[in-house]
Amino acid sequence: MTSSINNHSHFVLTLTFLLTSLTLYTSVMAWIIILVICAVTMRLALYFQLHKHAPSIRTLNLLALLSGIVLAYFSLQLGVLLGMLNLLVMASALKLMLLRNNRDYHQLVTTVGFLIGCGFIFQQGIVFSIIYLLLMVALILSLALHYSPSKSLLQTSKDISIMGLQALPIALLLFLVMPKFDPLWQMPAAKSTETGLSEKITPGDIAKLSQSSDLVFRASFTGDIPQPQERYWRAIVLEDFDGASWQISPQRMAINNQYRQYSEEFDASGEGRVFQYEVFAEPTHQNWLYAIDVAIPDGSYSNQRIWQNHDYQLISQAPLVSTFQYKVKSYPSANLNQSLYSLDKRINLQLPPKTGNPKTQAWVDNLRSQHPDDVDFAQKILEYFENQGFSYTLKPPLMQDEPVDQFLFEAKQGFCSHYASAMAYALRLGGIPARLVTGYQGGELRSDYLSIYQYDAHAWVEAWFDETGWQRIDPTAVVAPDRIQYGLQSAVEAENFLYNSPFSLARFNSVTWLNDLRLMLNSVDYAWTKWVLGFDQEQQKDLFKSFIGELTPRKVALFAFGVFALIFTLIALFYLPLWRKPKLDKSTSYYLKAQQILGKLGIYRADSKGPIDFSSQVARATDMSISAPFERLTKLYVIHMYRPDTPIELRKHHAMMAKELSKMKAAVKALGKVEVLEQS
Amino acid sequence: MQKKIGLAIDQISKLVIGKKRQIKLAMSCLLADGHLLIEDLPGMGKTTLSHALAAALGMDFSRIQFTSDLLPADMLGLNIFNNNTHSFEFHPGPIFSQMVLADEINRASPKTQSALLEAMEEKQVSLDGNTHTLPSPFFVIGTQNPTHQSGTYPLPESQLDRFLMRIQLGYPDWQAEKDMLMQDAEIQNSAFKTVITTDELIELQNLVTKVHASDAIVNYVLKLVTHSRESEAFPNPLSPRASKALLSAAKGWAFVEGRDFVIPEDIQAVLPSVAEHRMRASSSDLTGQASLSDKLLEAIDPLAA
Repeated sequence: MTSSINNHSHFVLTLTFLLTSLTLYTSVMAWIIILVICAVTMRLALYFQLHKHAPSIRTLNLLALLSGIVLAYFSLQLGVLLGMLNLLVMASALKLMLLRNNRDYHQLVTTVGFLIGCGFIFQQGIVFSIIYLLLMVALILSLALHYSPSKSLLQTSKDISIMGLQALPIALLLFLVMPKFDPLWQMPAAKSTETGLSEKITPGDIAKLSQSSDLVFRASFTGDIPQPQERYWRAIVLEDFDGASWQISPQRMAINNQYRQYSEEFDASGEGRVFQYEVFAEPTHQNWLYAIDVAIPDGSYSNQRIWQNHDYQLISQAPLVSTFQYKVKSYPSANLNQSLYSLDKRINLQLPPKTGNPKTQAWVDNLRSQHPDDVDFAQKILEYFENQGFSYTLKPPLMQDEPVDQFLFEAKQGFCSHYASAMAYALRLGGIPARLVTGYQGGELRSDYLSIYQYDAHAWVEAWFDETGWQRIDPTAVVAPDRIQYGLQSAVEAENFLYNSPFSLARFNSVTWLNDLRLMLNSVDYAWTKWVLGFDQEQQKDLFKSFIGELTPRKVALFAFGVFALIFTLIALFYLPLWRKPKLDKSTSYYLKAQQILGKLGIYRADSKGPIDFSSQVARATDMSISAPFERLTKLYVIHMYRPDTPIELRKHHAMMAKELSKMKAAVKALGKVEVLEQS
Repeated sequence: MQKKIGLAIDQISKLVIGKKRQIKLAMSCLLADGHLLIEDLPGMGKTTLSHALAAALGMDFSRIQFTSDLLPADMLGLNIFNNNTHSFEFHPGPIFSQMVLADEINRASPKTQSALLEAMEEKQVSLDGNTHTLPSPFFVIGTQNPTHQSGTYPLPESQLDRFLMRIQLGYPDWQAEKDMLMQDAEIQNSAFKTVITTDELIELQNLVTKVHASDAIVNYVLKLVTHSRESEAFPNPLSPRASKALLSAAKGWAFVEGRDFVIPEDIQAVLPSVAEHRMRASSSDLTGQASLSDKLLEAIDPLAA
């Protein structure tokens, strides 16, 4: 039985658990957080002696049953990953309420450690990494306090920090040399954790995305950096239109699954300008990747993990559950005229039921009859946007019935997706294959890398012309050229930019020092992403190369062996004094074992106590069944340690000691059973 | 033989009631061939204890009451010119007894004090070029009043060191004092009986030196004294003489306990009496502050290898 009264280790553990749960706030359900807070309050009340009685097991069992039922009810919505996480947090909260003996404590420490690990599924930024590191240290501090309760909090913290600093170089070395394997398991996908672009877009959705200043990815260029108007980061191609929203064509998905093995659709031989860059994508829990125009994976490692489908989308083999890093080459001047199969044509001419949006249909029929040439026709639609007083806004009016009609002829204001959607629809009506592409446009340049945020989300149109193949058409560029040239902020009025996140630093770009601060944090985060999170097999190889030259298997083996030998030597140096110590003789080890057994009963020998005194202390503190064998064992021990060396039968004595020891063990076990019976 | 020690202790405790521990300490001190210093307020039974001890052990006993005008010669004896033989004859002083009670030792002048302490150490008296050996066994029980009392010359550390042990009697508890008050004279008289003869005592003292102190025990003693030297908590660290004293006192105690080997508890039992007066400056008294010996004992694990 351990009591929480003034038990620092419980106190620290409780706070660690609370903070860990709070960092998981996005993933843990509110009622579980409340349960956590209740458990923490309860434990703190015990610690500060505001209250004396922990809840009984019966109460807790009932609570656990109820919580389990509620969680089971929600579990289908949550999916496997979040369900398990919620279960873990809930179980820990209940364990914190129980926390009666050593075993409970150890279970809770282990679980909280695991929870801290889980935190990295959701957060990998530098800030959260530091927070989790500190929480881990706090957890170890709690353990240390548990094992040496007499030491002061300050002293123990000092010890822990020293040990932490000692461990740091080893951790660093291991980080650099440990083989980076791809995970052996697949992270269960969690619907609600997906962020960023979605596979189905209703015009207006992107406007919501534009309210977020979260980072989407960074791209670090070697060589040319594209001009702002060239920064069209393709992500998802949407080919199915139902009159209101666009989504990935089901047929296309089927085809993609079928032809997955034929990766790399695009052949890049001699295609003019090339952008070469490396992308660090934030986790989205989706498979879409970003690249400028047509791009192919660069290097074998990126090639293994990325495939390209018929729409020139880059798709990762596994969902992006952590920062994902890949190298690509883009060919901005390449024609996208690889091939238009009849199937592609059919998909991209697909129209929603004829009844919808009649005004648009009539308008297109009229326009198309005047301009039979495809390019001319597309140009005329753009001119319509340009000349008919269209405006670009983040807060367009709601357009529910006949949305395209309403947009084109009544509201005349909208966000990029409105324009793109209307344009693609109009082109299809006019018999030109067209599709909606979503992705990001723009990015903030800093030295040699671009940072792309959610508010850079964009949608545009790709249309097929027989002469040039697939051609990008961006109607937004016509309506709001500033959006393309200078980014979203200059295209909309200041108060509209990020109006849902009033405290976002990005909102205060005009305040110089705040902007500097934001850019500095941005650089730090970039460095973290690039050098820590992005440290993968390839970078490791590069690092090895810089140390040992060209890689031959023998060198690699030698290097790895050398590093492990170094670590082993360090550890050996630490333990050497321990090994050099004379081995304990048998009677002492028996005596120590007996002490351990008594320790389980909470009877400890004060360091200064002699054996006989201790034996009589034991006799006072416990049952005869334990103290009597211990007394006999003590007598033998004393004879061995302090009596002159008369020819006593050593072996016989040891056997006797062993016997007394096992008697003690049996007695303790029996006593334990009795206690359990009494409790229940 | 060892049984007789038990008998002697029982007999003494009939007179000095409720002080069994101090009696045992005094006995160990005697068996270890060391001198004993009893420090306490007047009337606590210092003299009674020495009387009882002397009686039980059949030693001839003399008492020297120390005063500020006591001269060394009053204690050691002196050479007197014999007119008949025309030569100086030595007239031994009261110190030539097997057991000497040096009462209120800190009231005497430093000169007398050092004469006594020299005799204690050398077990002989040198006078005008002649050496006179003191009887054997020779055992001095010094008593002193707490030093803060007026009219005292505190013993210097170097001389306190000559006493193997310093003990305090302290007030008896309720029951012990009640027993003492209710006791009749008959018992008191019966208590003055010789239990151990002088020859037996010498033999016992020999046996005590043969009590076994194992390697582990010697290590424990060494760890204790080393700690007193290394830690800053102890103003006067323990000397090698102190470690020797500690071990021999512990042997005496082990013998009194009926064992022929020393265990850590023996060391712990005698350490406060053996070490406290050596570690603490003589001018400070035992009351107040936490005991240094307890601090020392707490710092060392006797079982650690």
